[in-house]
Amino acid sequence: MSNDLLWVEKYRPKKIEDIVGNEEAKAALIEWLKNKRRSKKAVLLYGPPGVGKTALVNAASKGFGFSIIEMNASDSRSEKAINEVAKPATSYVALDNFSSANKGKGNLLFLDEVDGIAGNEDRGGVGAIIKIVEEARVPVIMAANDPDIDKLRPLKKVCLLIRFHQIRIPLIIALLQKICLLEHVKAEFEALERIAQNSKGDVRSAINDLQSLAEENHALILQDTMALTSRNKDISMDDTLRGFFSTKSVTEASSLLSRSNVDYDEFIMSVGDNLPRRYSDPEELAAAYDFVSQADVFRGRIGTENWHLLKYFFNALSRASAVAPESYKPFELISPPIRIITLFWTKGKRTMLDGICGKIGAQCHVSHSIAKHDFVPFIKIILQNTKSSSLIPWFKFTPEEVDFLLKMNRY
Amino acid sequence: MVIVLNPKEFKLPRVEKEKFVLLIRLGLDYNRELGLFSIKNYNNIEKLIDTVSGILNTEVVFSQTCIRCGKDFPCTDCKYNELCTTKDLPFSCVCPKCLTDRKQFEEYLEKF
Repeated sequence: MSNDLLWVEKYRPKKIEDIVGNEEAKAALIEWLKNKRRSKKAVLLYGPPGVGKTALVNAASKGFGFSIIEMNASDSRSEKAINEVAKPATSYVALDNFSSANKGKGNLLFLDEVDGIAGNEDRGGVGAIIKIVEEARVPVIMAANDPDIDKLRPLKKVCLLIRFHQIRIPLIIALLQKICLLEHVKAEFEALERIAQNSKGDVRSAINDLQSLAEENHALILQDTMALTSRNKDISMDDTLRGFFSTKSVTEASSLLSRSNVDYDEFIMSVGDNLPRRYSDPEELAAAYDFVSQADVFRGRIGTENWHLLKYFFNALSRASAVAPESYKPFELISPPIRIITLFWTKGKRTMLDGICGKIGAQCHVSHSIAKHDFVPFIKIILQNTKSSSLIPWFKFTPEEVDFLLKMNRY
Repeated sequence: MVIVLNPKEFKLPRVEKEKFVLLIRLGLDYNRELGLFSIKNYNNIEKLIDTVSGILNTEVVFSQTCIRCGKDFPCTDCKYNELCTTKDLPFSCVCPKCLTDRKQFEEYLEKF
C-alpha cells in the first residue's frame, strides 16, 4: 500500500463491521437491503458529515454484491442528468448479470448529498429522483446532512429514513488507537483524547488530524495537539435547548451556548416558552425569567456590532438555566418558539387585515397604522349594526373582507 | 432520581391510548406476551426519552453496551459525558475500563 495515501482512504471501511458507531443505523440498512419485499423503495440516510453514511453504503453494496452507481455533489443533478444516468441503472437489469462469472445482485443507485441539489443547474432534480424511486426495480439509497430543508420534504415521504448520530468520543479514540497501532505511531492517550474531542464526532477529520500530527515522527504527545484549531459544529436548536435546560452549572450552560450557532433571538424566545415547564416553583420561575430579561437587555445592546457583550448575554441566560439544577426533570420541549408558530398560523389573517387597512388608508388618506387602530374598530361596529352599509362599496371591501371584519376578535 | 433502562426491554405503567400510539410512532415496539417495550427506531430518540420520562415522572437514561467487552454501563461513568451530544442515548460505545485497558484493547484488535 502506498505511503502517500491519505489515512482516511487507507483505513476506509471495507466491510460493514469496520464502520465505527451507529450500530442501529447499520442494522436498519442491512435489514432493508436483505428484505426483498421492501415497503419503501428508497432509503434516505441522514446525519452530520463524517459519521459513515457513504462508507456504509459502499461497504454494504460490496457485502451484498451490488454494483454501485453513484451520483454525488460533483455531478450535475438536473432532471435531464438524473434521467440519463439513474433511470437506465434502476430500470434495467445490468447486462453483466447474465455472465456466469458474475454472481452480483445487480445495480444499486446511490445519490450522495441530496440536500445539495440546488439552483438552476439542478432544476427538477428532486422531482426526477422521486419518479425514479417510484419506478425503480433496484435499491435506491440517498444520503443527506440536513433532511429538514423544504425541498427534500416530498422525497422524505417516499423514503425509509435512517438517522446517523455523531460518533462518540470513546469510539473515535478506539479507532485512532487502532490506526496508531497499525501505523506504528507511539501516541499518548491524552493526545488521542484531544484529537477526538476536537473532531466533534467527525471521524474523517479526526483521522486527518492524526495523520497531519503523527505521520512524520511516528510519535504523538499532548503538546503536539495544541495547534489544532477547534472545529465548530452546529448544534441544532432542539439539542441546544435540551442541553441548556439539563445543565448543572452556569459554566456548563455558558460553554454550550458558545459552542452552538443557534439564532439568539429565537433561542431566547424558546427559553422563555419552556421555562414554565422547567420550573414548577413560582419563585424559581420568577428568578429564571428575571435572568432571561437581563439577557434580553444584553441582546438588545449587542445589536449587530457589539459582539464583545456576548459573554454577558451568555452569562445572564445561563443563570436562568441553573436557578435550581437539582430540580431538573426532563420535559417535552416547546420548539419552535410560540411567537413564531403564532406568526406562521396568523399570516393569512394579517395579510387580510393589511389589505383592509390599505383600502381604508387610500380612501381616508391615513397611514396603515392609523387605519388599523383608529378606523378598523369603528368600521367593525358600523358593519355589525348595518350589514349593508354604504361604507362597503365606498371602501371597495370584498365579501371576504367584510366577513373577516365581522368575525375578527382582535387585530 | 434517575432511572436507567435497558433499551432492549423495559416496562412502563399503563398509559392512555393516545400516549401509547405516540410511543409507537416515536419508535417503541411492544411485546404483548411479555408486556415489555423495546426501542425499534432511533430516529426520534430524544423525543422518545422525553415522553418516557414524562410517563415515569423522573429522569430516564438508557444503558450503553460496550463494543469491546459487551457489558452494559451508564453514561455517568464516562468522563466525556458533558461533551457528548448523544449522552444517555442507547447507542454502542466503549466503556471507560476498556478504553484505558491496553491489554484488553490488543485482544480486541486480534478479532479484526
